[in-house]
Formats: sequence, C-alpha cells, structure tokens
Amino acid sequence: MPRGKKRVSSFVQSRLSSPPPPKKGRSTTVSRRASRNECAPEVFNQKACLKWFQEYSQNDDPNIMGPDGVEKFCSDIKVKPEDIVMLVLAWKMKAKQMAYFTQEEWLQGMTEMSCDSIEKLRYKLDSLRNLLKDSATFKSIYRYSFDFTKDKDQRSLEIETAKSMLRVLLADQWNLFPQFMKFLDESKYKVINKDQWANILEFTRYVRDDLSNYDYDGAWPVLLDEFVEWLGKDNSMNQSEV
Amino acid sequence: MDSLNSTNATRFPKHLLDSLLDRLPGTSAALTRNDTSLLLAYGGLSVAVRTKINEDKRTSRENSSSVIRGEWSMSHRSRSVVLSDEDCSKKRRKSAKGLENRFRAPDDVMADMEKKGNFSSLMRPSNLISSKPGAAKKLVILNFKETPKLPLDYQEVTWAKLEEAVIAIQTSKSIKYSQEELFQGVENMCNHKMAQFLYTKLRELTQKHVEANIKPFLAESIDRLIFLKRMNECWLAHCRQMIQIRSIFLYLDRTYVLQTPTLASIWDMGLEMFRFYIITNPMVQTRTVEGLLMLIEKERQGDTVDRTLLKSLLRMLSDLQIYQEAFEAKFLTATERLYASEGQQLMQDLDVPEYLAHVNKRLNEENERLLHYLDQCTKWALIHTVEKQLLTEHLTSILQKGLDILLEENRIKDLTLLYNLFSRVKNGPTELCNNFNSFIKKKGRTIVIDPEKDKTMVQELLDFKDKMDNIVSTCYQKKERFHFSLKEAFEYFINQRVNKPAELIAKFVDSKLRAGNKEATEEELERLLDKIMVLFRFIHGKDVFEAFYKKDLAKRLLVGKSASVDAEKSMLSKLKQECGGGFTSKLEGMFKDMELSKDVNIAFKQHMGNLREPPLANIDLTVNILTMGYWPSYPLLEVTLPIEMVQYQEVFNKFYLGKHSGRKLQWQPTLGHCVLKADFAQGKKELQVSLFQALVLLRFNRADDITLEDIKAATLIEDGELRRTLQSLACGKARVLQKVPKGREVENGDRFSFNNEFTNKLFRIKINQIQLKETTEEQKATEERVFQDRQYQIDAAIVRIMKMRKTLSHNLLISELYNQLKFPVKPADLKKRIESLIDRDYMERDKDIANQYNYVA
Repeated sequence: MPRGKKRVSSFVQSRLSSPPPPKKGRSTTVSRRASRNECAPEVFNQKACLKWFQEYSQNDDPNIMGPDGVEKFCSDIKVKPEDIVMLVLAWKMKAKQMAYFTQEEWLQGMTEMSCDSIEKLRYKLDSLRNLLKDSATFKSIYRYSFDFTKDKDQRSLEIETAKSMLRVLLADQWNLFPQFMKFLDESKYKVINKDQWANILEFTRYVRDDLSNYDYDGAWPVLLDEFVEWLGKDNSMNQSEV
Repeated sequence: MDSLNSTNATRFPKHLLDSLLDRLPGTSAALTRNDTSLLLAYGGLSVAVRTKINEDKRTSRENSSSVIRGEWSMSHRSRSVVLSDEDCSKKRRKSAKGLENRFRAPDDVMADMEKKGNFSSLMRPSNLISSKPGAAKKLVILNFKETPKLPLDYQEVTWAKLEEAVIAIQTSKSIKYSQEELFQGVENMCNHKMAQFLYTKLRELTQKHVEANIKPFLAESIDRLIFLKRMNECWLAHCRQMIQIRSIFLYLDRTYVLQTPTLASIWDMGLEMFRFYIITNPMVQTRTVEGLLMLIEKERQGDTVDRTLLKSLLRMLSDLQIYQEAFEAKFLTATERLYASEGQQLMQDLDVPEYLAHVNKRLNEENERLLHYLDQCTKWALIHTVEKQLLTEHLTSILQKGLDILLEENRIKDLTLLYNLFSRVKNGPTELCNNFNSFIKKKGRTIVIDPEKDKTMVQELLDFKDKMDNIVSTCYQKKERFHFSLKEAFEYFINQRVNKPAELIAKFVDSKLRAGNKEATEEELERLLDKIMVLFRFIHGKDVFEAFYKKDLAKRLLVGKSASVDAEKSMLSKLKQECGGGFTSKLEGMFKDMELSKDVNIAFKQHMGNLREPPLANIDLTVNILTMGYWPSYPLLEVTLPIEMVQYQEVFNKFYLGKHSGRKLQWQPTLGHCVLKADFAQGKKELQVSLFQALVLLRFNRADDITLEDIKAATLIEDGELRRTLQSLACGKARVLQKVPKGREVENGDRFSFNNEFTNKLFRIKINQIQLKETTEEQKATEERVFQDRQYQIDAAIVRIMKMRKTLSHNLLISELYNQLKFPVKPADLKKRIESLIDRDYMERDKDIANQYNYVA
C-alpha cells in the first residue's frame, strides 16, 4: 500500500515538525455540534459518536478515518498530533495502524471512554494522561505503540520512526535519552525490532543512569550492550577532552 | 629376736630374710651359705605343718612362731665358723652365681606357704607336739646367742675410707683401698640404715668438688677455643669421676636411691651438680654457648674446626638437659641471621642456578652438621630455618629471575635441582607450577601471535611441547599438577590467536602427508601425527581445522599426491577417535569417492572397448566422481574444450547416467590435469600439465603466434587464471612457449609462440601450475564458510535446547550453549543469534521476565 506508507511517513514528519495550524472553518462546525450535546454530558450517545466519526472519515471509504481526518481530529480536540495522549487514545481504541482509525475502533474506544463529543473527550484527556503514570499501563501502551507505529507488512520499525516514537514516549522520563538518540545516529542500525523495542523500556526502568547495576552477561539485546559500551567510550572521550 | 614376732612371721617371705640379714651382719655369710639347709628346713617345716594340720587344725598362732624360731635356731646352730667380713665377701662372690639359682626355691616355698594362708592361725600350740601320734620326740627350742653387732664407729670409719676414695678419684689419684672393700663398706652401710647418711655425705662431697671446679672458667680473657677445650676436659673428667664413684656406690644407687623416688641417682646427682654450679653460671654458660656458636659459624664460613670438641660439648649440653634452652634457640637465631643476610646478598650476586647450587650445598652441610654434632631434635627447626631464609623468602624472586632462562635454555639439571629444592618448602611447588604455567603461556603466545612466524609456527609448537614434556617428566617427576598445568597453558595460548593455529596445523599435516616428503619413515610419520593430534586437541575451533584439512585432502587425492594411503587413513582414524564420526564422515566420503571412481573408470574402459567404433582412440580419459557436499565447493568455470574432449565427455556422461539414472554430472575443469605429447626440434617429450595449461598449449597446434587476447577468446579461461597459466608456460623453468616482449609478467597485448628450441634432459616434464598468490582470498572464503556453518550450528543448538526446555533463563541458555558448542564463540555472538531467532519467531522473550525465553512452537 504505497499510499498509506507515504501517509504514515508524512504523518510522522508532521509530528516531528510543528503541527499545521488548525483549519478554522471545520473547527467551528464541530464546536457547534459539541455545544449541542452539552445538555446530556453523562449519557453516551452512540449515534452522536458515529456522526462525529463521519466528520473525519474519508470520502472514498466512510468506515476509515485517514491521516487528514486524524489531523483535523487533533486540532478539534486541541492536541498536537505528536502529543503522547494521542497514543493513549489510539491504545484505547486499539487502533491497528497509526494515522488510521476504523469506525469499529472508534466506536469501541469511545464507548469505553463514554465520549461522543469533542467536549467530552477534551474533558477526558487529563485522565487519559494520568493513565501513563501507571507503569503497567505505560508498559502496555509502550508495547502497543510498536505494532501501532510499524508498517503492517514489516517486522521492524524503521530507525527514524522508532526514534520519533521513542521521543514521544521516553524523552521526559529517561535521562540517558539524548545519548541514546546520539548512539542510534552513530550506529549502523537501520531498524528496531520488537524485542529491542520492548527491552529499551525495560532498560530505562531497570538500569540506573550511572549503569552501576548493568550486567554485561545479562540478557540485554546486543543493541543495548553496544549502547552501554558506546556510553563508556563516549564518557572516556569526554573526560579526555576535559 | 623379740622383734621377730608373730606378725612378722605371717609375712614370712623376703622381709624376714632381709631383716635377718640386716640384723646379723656377722652371720650373713653363714646364712647365705646355709641357704640350702634353711630351705630344707622350711620344706620340712611345711611338711610337718601340713601333717599337723591334718591331725589337728587348732594349732595356736604363738606356737607356730615358736616352731619357726626353733627351726631358725637349729640352722643357726649348724653354723660352725664365723667368717670375717673380708673372707665373706670373697666367698660371697664365688657363690653368687649359685645363689641366683637358689633364690628361686624360697619363692616356691613361699608361694606354697602363702597358699596355706595364715597357717599359723590354724595351729594350736597345745596340739603341736602332744597330739602327734606316738609323740616320742621332743623339740627343744633355744634362744639365739647374742646378736652380732657392728662396731660402734663403723659408720665413721667406713665413711672416712669412702671419702678418701672419692677425693682420690676427684683428684685423679690412686685409691688406697681395694674397690671390693669400698663396695662392701657401702653395702654394709646401706644395709644398716646408713644409706641416707651416705647419700648426703656423698652429695656434699660432690658438691664441694664441682663448686671448686668452676674457678678456672671464671677467669677473664681466656681464648674462646681454650675455654671450650677446658670446659670439655672438665666435663669429661666429671663424667669419668662420676662413673667411678657410681661404681663404688653402686649398692647405694641401686637400693636406697632407687627406692626413694625423691632422690636422683648418683649419676644424675652429679649432672645436677655440674649443671647447677658450672653451666648455670651465666658467664660460663654464655661463654660456652658463644664459643660453640663461633665454632659453628667458623665452620659455616669454610674453616675446619674440631668437630669432636663440638660434639662432646653439645652432648654435654643435652646431657645436662639445657641444650634446648641454652643453645638451640640462640643457635637457630644465629642461623637465621646468617642465612637471612646470606640469602639476600647471594640473591643479588649470583645467578639463579649458582644460587640454587649454593642452597643445596648449605642444606647438605647443615645435614652433615646434624649428623656429626648437633642434636637430632634440632633437625626440623634447623633445616626449616635454612629453607625459610634461603628459599621461602626468595621464592618469587628466584622464579622471576631465573625460571624463564632455565626453561628457555632447557637446563635440565638446574631445573631438577630447582624442583627438588622447591618441593621442600610450603607453596614451593605451587609457585613453581604457576610460574611454569605463565612461562608457557608467555612463550607460547610469542610463537602463536606473530604472523611473520606463521611458516614455522607448528614445528615450533611441536618442539616447544616436546621440550616442556621432557622437563615435566625428567625434572618435575611427572607430577600430575605440572602435566595438567602444561595442558592448560597450551590450550590457553594456542587459542590466543583465533583460527590461525588450526589452519596452520591443517596445512602442516598436509605438508607431511603430501608425496615427496621423504624425510620420514612410516613410523616417524606416525609418531609425528600423534604429536600433532596433541596440539589439535588444544584447539577450540576444530571446524576451522576440518575446513582447511578437507581442502588440502581434496588436493592430495585429486592430484594423486598423497604420500601414503596408510598414513592418510591413520590420520583419519585419529581424527575420528578425537572428534567422533560426525567430524570425519565427509572426509571418509571423499576416500570412498576415490575408490568408487576407480571402479567406474575400469568399467568405463571396458565400455569403451565394447563400443564398435571407438571415437577417439588416441585420447585417454580418467574421471573422478566427487559427491557434492563431501568435497569443498569449487567455483564453476565454463571453458571451451577442444571438440574431442567434449565428445569424450559426452560418451562418459551417457555411460555414467545410463548406469545411475537421476544423477547430475557437473564437470570441474579447474581440477583436471593432462599429459600432452609434444614434438620439439630436440625430440619428443611428454608434458604433464593442468587442464588449463593443456587448453592453452593445444591452441598452438593451429597457429604458432597468438596474442593473449586471442587465447582468451578461444579458451574462455578467466583472465587471471589465464595469465598465470601463460606465465607458467612461458616464464617458468620449462619454457615451452616464448613470449614477446620478454618479461616475468604477462601484460595485455603480449604475443606467444611455440618454442621449438625447447630442451630438457627429461622425457616427461611436469610443468607446475603457478599457485594462486591470493591464497588469502581462498583462506578468507574458507573461514567465511566456517563462520557461516557456525551460525547455523548456534541456531540449531539454541532451538534444540529451547525445544527441550520450553522456557529457560538467559544465563542457563548461554551456559548450555557453551556446553554444546565445540568452537569458540563470544557471548555477544550468541545473543545476536538469539535475537535473530526471536525475530524469526522461533522463540520469544518472556513478557514479564526480561531475561527468560520461551520456545515458540
């Protein structure tokens, strides 16, 4: 699917750069719709929800919300596409692929969150963000994001995609993150596989920043062994420069 | 006689006799002489008593004693003459022997009487005589006459004599009295309770004398040696005197002194005196000990000293029981000091072998010293001190300074000495073994690691191993730990350089098994192969060896260069023994192919004979059929063969495929070789060449002068290969072609022509194909193949293990892999394979436990 691929990468790029400014015309209609639903905030309205979905769905296939739709959806709920909460949303909806939501996924996710309008969802965002604080949930989201991000016909994640995803997920909570990015830049790795992906999180959680509890004979993937080795070299170089 | 009362009588035996003898000095001789009668009297008595007991058991106690008294008096009366003291002792001597025997008798009697118990109590006085039937005899009992008494002044007189004698002895003068007399006097005095007096007096006398003896030793400024000599004289005199005195006072020594536990025997008393008054004097003692130490030190410095003097004085010290406290400690300190400084000094001045020889000499000397004059109890401490100061202190420096050189120069004798000395001390063998081990590792590494030495590496390794084996077996007494250490060290350093030793060993074997290697007989070759197998055993990456060995074996078999089929088979069986059938199955397959090919060729010849019109009678074809997989893989090169050859191949293809349908034949031109007949001006020759060489030469059947490019176009031989081929034909030893322009290298545009003027004294000429210079490439290819095989093996092993265990932690998996894999591999490589398998869904990492793997079915 050449089209999809292009879309994904452009989507990723857009996430990396600043999001495009939201289009005014559409957002007004949505807000109008949302205000109409304010009278019954607690009741989940499946029809409203579906209708809401239709606003974003593609013309050629009404069951799917494409990258454009997602972009619009983002701006409607006033969230940048690269915001981590988008990942939580996707995880809630059990979306199979980045930048695409099917109607089923949408309905199922929204039903679970009992959101059928922009307002409700925006109201919900903070609690979604809070989900990340639970380490088990975060792990689940982290692992989910690998499958979510990668191309369906590939086993691994391309390095650039992986890096941007890691930035979204880990940049705030891993002190070694900048070094890790530098290491990936300098290394010969072109893809990150699922095992490596899963273990990067374990590494951030288990290994201390000074690497004092790192076990060279442990089961860490070679990628991480090399990272630790690289860090050692990097440090010694820095020291010698000092 | 009053004292001889009833109580005494009941305990009749020895006491009675003794006390009798005590009381009657004058009669003692008579008594002893009359022992027989006395005993008879006893005997008679007991009989009499017995009869009486039978008659009347109520005999009174008093009476019994009176009976005995009677008996005594009777015997007493039978004495006719009283002998003088002097005579007595003479006679006594004579009868002494007899006495000994006789003394047994009374014992028996006594036992008899004892059995009767206190028979006296059974006797009744009233019945003793009266109740006897027909009591006609009367037993009259008379009292003793007056008790013989010693003269009143006996004690003083006798002592005066003795004293005089003792003083005479002490002053080395002759004794006035006979020893017999003196002895008798002592005996008598002892027997008359004067023993204590005697002992005290003797003690005083000795004390006085010994006390006086110290004076000469107190004088200042005596030469040490003279002092020692005097001391020795004094000591010897003392001993002599004490022996003499003792023999006079022997009776005292053996009775009174022996029975009184608090007293020391006369000899010991003498020693005690000597110790107390002379040696314990601090100055005397110090001088003596220092003198001794000086003498010993002199001897240690190589001077000759009076060993008898030393021995005698040291004996004195140990006899006086002050050897240990007064001498040994100081001696050991002196020894320690001496050898500590000597050890340090000599370690700097001497070579290690010289030093060891010196230590050995020292140890021998000290042992001799022990043998000659030192007390044996010093042995352990002394030897230990020497060992400690000369060896233990310097273990490390000896080993660091000398071991490597000794090993390097193969100095068997010195090494043996080193081992013997080191095995005396604690940690010695361990240290030696460790250093031996590190020497091998160090030295072995230099052999293995340097690529410049690759050519000679294997031979050097063999020599080195021989040398070390020899050292272990002759110098280290074939000790297990050294054998083990040797092996460990070899295994360690040989694998310091990955793969190369394995490759070189394979090539070394090839050079030995190749024909033309006539330097060795079959037995020698066999022995050599055994040695190589020892090296082979150390190598971790045996698959590398196999790959290279296989390649070389293929060459040997196909070119028919193998020296001996037996040797090949023997090597193969050794490999099989070492690594199992799996390792050699392919190699065996190669041999099998060769055998089968022989049969095929015979059948093919017959087949050709049977053909009605043999297509090309003047060409002969031999084919080796190689099973794919057994043999190394060769690059497939397409070349243009002459039409005759192609036809021949067709015939063979038809023949072979007719026999074995379903097989596929693929011709390998690279491995073929030909014999060509050539006509030169000088005459006919046969040229033995490779197939490529033949193809080139055959071109010159049609033209005399051809360019490189033309040949290339005609034969389609690969460029590099063709240039090498032409080089061998036009620039080598046998130049059957001429090249224009001349030169060693074949350049583009060179022209070649048939060299009609070619001369050679041989009829059949072998033109060697120039060996590929770029064997490195070939080598790399072989290595690459090995590594790829290894990856598959790792994968297979991982899957095998995981399939069996289902779940396994990372560390367990790795250790299990190391058990299974027979080649060296880094943990990181294993991890990569594991990750690759995870990626390919053969297994997965456990979702919760990061270092655990699950097998995915």
